[in-house]
Amino acid sequence: MTWFSPATSRDGVLSTVPDFQRGFDALYASLWSQQAMPAAILELCRLRIAQMHRCEVEWQRKSFALPQEQRDQLKDWHRSPAFSAAERACLDLCEVYTADPAAISDAQADAVKAHFGEAGFVALAEAMGLFFGLTRLSLLWQLQPEGLLHD
Amino acid sequence: MTSQPRAHGPGTQSGDPVRDSALALVPEILEAYIPLSRAVWLEGPLGPALLEMVRLRNAQRVNCVFCRNARYDIARDDGLTEEKIGWMASEEGREQLSEQERLAVAFADAYLEGPDNLSSDLQAELAAAFSPAEIAHLSLALLLFNTFSRCAVTIGGMPDSLPVMEVSLPPA
Repeated sequence: MTWFSPATSRDGVLSTVPDFQRGFDALYASLWSQQAMPAAILELCRLRIAQMHRCEVEWQRKSFALPQEQRDQLKDWHRSPAFSAAERACLDLCEVYTADPAAISDAQADAVKAHFGEAGFVALAEAMGLFFGLTRLSLLWQLQPEGLLHD
Repeated sequence: MTSQPRAHGPGTQSGDPVRDSALALVPEILEAYIPLSRAVWLEGPLGPALLEMVRLRNAQRVNCVFCRNARYDIARDDGLTEEKIGWMASEEGREQLSEQERLAVAFADAYLEGPDNLSSDLQAELAAAFSPAEIAHLSLALLLFNTFSRCAVTIGGMPDSLPVMEVSLPPA
């Protein structure tokens, strides 16, 4: 349970505000259905943000299926051959974004736009914002990974 | 922070600054965001004045010039004043806030600065002052405020400063 409710999951917390839960679910689903940025790259960035926050509950969550090799090598994406040039450009932007979005350079933004255009860049910026915030809420609410829960 | 925009709006002039912005390049996300944002402002257990204080706390920390200088008319109508906004900036000023206002600002600070370091004392104070639904509302509001202010900084194109401007929610 969290420190403020009996809920043990994000869905459980949001179920206390059901009108918002429907809207949130629609917004989260829109990230994965939009066409400007591949869902697989969004999942890589979501997981990298979880890693950088050392957030086990978000690391264990699976919003989109990825090759196990990419999950295993995500911390070393700079050196691993498991990641394409487009994925590297997005992960590079993601790491700076997570630390401080004001520190993103024009070259880093241009590298993403070279692969996905301005629309892909905007989709990534919006998605990273939600992933960043949801990771912080999981930590703030002190959610536990499903496998660590006890009755 | 770049002063040149890294993405541009679709060239529409609908009069709605959100729908005319670069966010419109991804309509699937924008059209899901707007109704949720309106619901969070208008339909939750917490009032617009308290939410606006949290929004401005986030805007100051993220340093989004657009967000920092905007004032939602519904928050003013709910009783929020510039004097109270100014109180948030200092420890002495925050002592003049109500218990819920002080705790909401502290919750925002924990989210923004170190969400894994929320003290047990602050947890107890928050749980005593807010219902579970109110904490969920506060959390979701903060999530949206932070997401889109960080998005604005990422996209860039902001001036160094702006005057304070009263704004309304985007239409449904």
